[in-house]
Amino acid sequence: MTPVPNPRRWTILRNLVLLALFLGLAAPASAFPIFARKYQTSCVTCHTVYPKLNAFGEAFRLNGYRMPKETEEQIKQKPVSLGSEAYKKVWPDAVWPNELPGNAPLAMNVKMASIYNSFTDASGAKTVVHNDFQFPQEVNLFAAGTLGENMSFMAELTHAENSDGSSGTEIEHARLGFENLLGPEHAFNIRLGKFAPNLYAGFQEMWLMTDNGVDTMFNYNPVGYKGGVGILDDAAGVVSMPARVRGIEAYGVLNHRFFYTFGVSTKIAPGANDPVSGTNALNSTGSPNGNFNNSTHKDFYVRFDYKFGGMGLDGDTEGVTLPPENWREKSFRVGILALKGNATGVDFLAANVNGLVPDPNDEGGNPYHLQDTSYTRTGLFASWTFSDLNVFGVYLNGKDTLELRTADNLTVVSTDDRTYKAYFVQADYVIAPPFHVSARYERLTPGDTSVQPLKVANFNFTYLAAANLKFMVEYQKTDQSGVGTNKALNTILRAAF
Amino acid sequence: MSNSILLTTLSLGAALCAQAGDIHGKVTCKGVRDSANAVVYVAAIPGKTFAAPAAHAKMDQKNLVFIPHVMPVLVGTTVDYLNSDAVLHNVFSPDACCDKFNLGTWPQGQSKSFTFKKECAATLLCKVHPEMEGFVVACPTPYYAVTKADGSFTIANVPDGAYTVKVWHPKLKAASKPVTVAGGTQAAFEIAK
Repeated sequence: MTPVPNPRRWTILRNLVLLALFLGLAAPASAFPIFARKYQTSCVTCHTVYPKLNAFGEAFRLNGYRMPKETEEQIKQKPVSLGSEAYKKVWPDAVWPNELPGNAPLAMNVKMASIYNSFTDASGAKTVVHNDFQFPQEVNLFAAGTLGENMSFMAELTHAENSDGSSGTEIEHARLGFENLLGPEHAFNIRLGKFAPNLYAGFQEMWLMTDNGVDTMFNYNPVGYKGGVGILDDAAGVVSMPARVRGIEAYGVLNHRFFYTFGVSTKIAPGANDPVSGTNALNSTGSPNGNFNNSTHKDFYVRFDYKFGGMGLDGDTEGVTLPPENWREKSFRVGILALKGNATGVDFLAANVNGLVPDPNDEGGNPYHLQDTSYTRTGLFASWTFSDLNVFGVYLNGKDTLELRTADNLTVVSTDDRTYKAYFVQADYVIAPPFHVSARYERLTPGDTSVQPLKVANFNFTYLAAANLKFMVEYQKTDQSGVGTNKALNTILRAAF
Repeated sequence: MSNSILLTTLSLGAALCAQAGDIHGKVTCKGVRDSANAVVYVAAIPGKTFAAPAAHAKMDQKNLVFIPHVMPVLVGTTVDYLNSDAVLHNVFSPDACCDKFNLGTWPQGQSKSFTFKKECAATLLCKVHPEMEGFVVACPTPYYAVTKADGSFTIANVPDGAYTVKVWHPKLKAASKPVTVAGGTQAAFEIAK
């Protein structure tokens, strides 16, 4: 029998994970100055304030890192030919011709953060960190570019140093893209590898100007004795939606304004080379989510969007009058998204807000086990841009079928459907090109109905000192009755080069 | 006596000049880095044939590049391909209009030849170095020119008359238009993908 972990130790661990999360582990990724070099253009061609994309940047991204109706003249770094175009005529007697970027397609982002953080738990105990200089907090090495007319690639290696003294290096992205494979231009494209799925287009990574990510969307833990109780760092193993997936995705833009994507990916599950069960579920803390886990189960996802007004999603501007300020337009984009998966065979120790829940019939008092045998996520996305203002948000509904199993022989005790709801609304405003403000409100109602909702307010002021250098002050308050309150004021300097 | 000979010579010269001019102008190439390497030529003239020149044209392979990159010739011309590099080179074409010829591989200092018997825009490739490409445009008349980087061209000594003038480019769609030559004549083209 496995000894029962100390509940107090579990609570401390959980709080530490929460604290780590609050200190910025979930920050969005950044921009790729590689393209500024390739096209000899400024970052603000594609970004309002990096990494947040403007409409042109979104079209550039969806076109596989190509400008809408791109011409050879626009590409200032001449690519390296791996074969004359005419070799297409002689295939398969010769290798299909392709191209390499003219220069090593590398770029870096460096992030320095000074942290003030105050966490008060339910008992009133307070943990305060003053002016923690996390210099650097994160360094990202990017590689991105095109390989000829129909291929693209992107990779990101991130090294982060955490507030608890730990550090880690992760391949955040590594994917190949195959563009314009079928039908009209932009209609059918494929991505393969580890990537942020287009399921989250508009509200993750390249669309967020804030330092903090939207944790209620991506870091909710749905597995709990009576349903999930709140958010955890995704390193703990379970998330509401996987921020990045290992999978294959199809996507495209039809008639300039209709966007679709569907994909299949590694299921939501803790990362480990061995199936996670028993106390290993706890020991998985620190492993990346979604890593190889010897499972044949897969997640499936789909999304459909339509954009009214503004620049077309493929960069089309026919019949549209746009102002010269490239962050401005009058548009409305709406989308629906869904994800379905199955994590049968992955065991977690049953816990509630107070810690592990022992199985009373187990002689050693070991905790129950849980398996999330079926989960669905459905959501509605909307983004409204009116001149300098962009308001966007998501409403998400989640359902998890949780099997409670005995501690000794994993016999199913009960099967319960648990549902949770999460939403956020964010407003970004361009005061002037160098000055930006953002406000976001998030609310999460966990699956465990005995637990109070989690509320997060986030405020950001950004000074874009140069197109590739930004200074941010961000305040975030996280409050969950019965768990605690966290207040963080982060001062961040971020450079891309 | 000598004055009358001079007058006669001048009159004859003036008459000849009035019968042949040139076509000059500009080709604007959209969507490529510059407007070089477009071939402008007079299309086949009904009832008129031109004897192939006895002299061979020459295309060099030097520093892993075909020089010139684009070379117009009259149909029937034999082109000698010289290897000026210390590495082996090959020349072949995947185009049916020149019978998809393959000249094999040969070392520095040697050359091999091919005669373009039909009108053809032939892509020339080197199997040893797949990035190398050159073009021979076999034209039906000896009236042709290659554009400079700014797109300018001059086709000299074109007899007065009405012709169809064509433009070919390695990456852009071909174009043509009627041009009436009467002495110095302007012609402008715009081509794109």
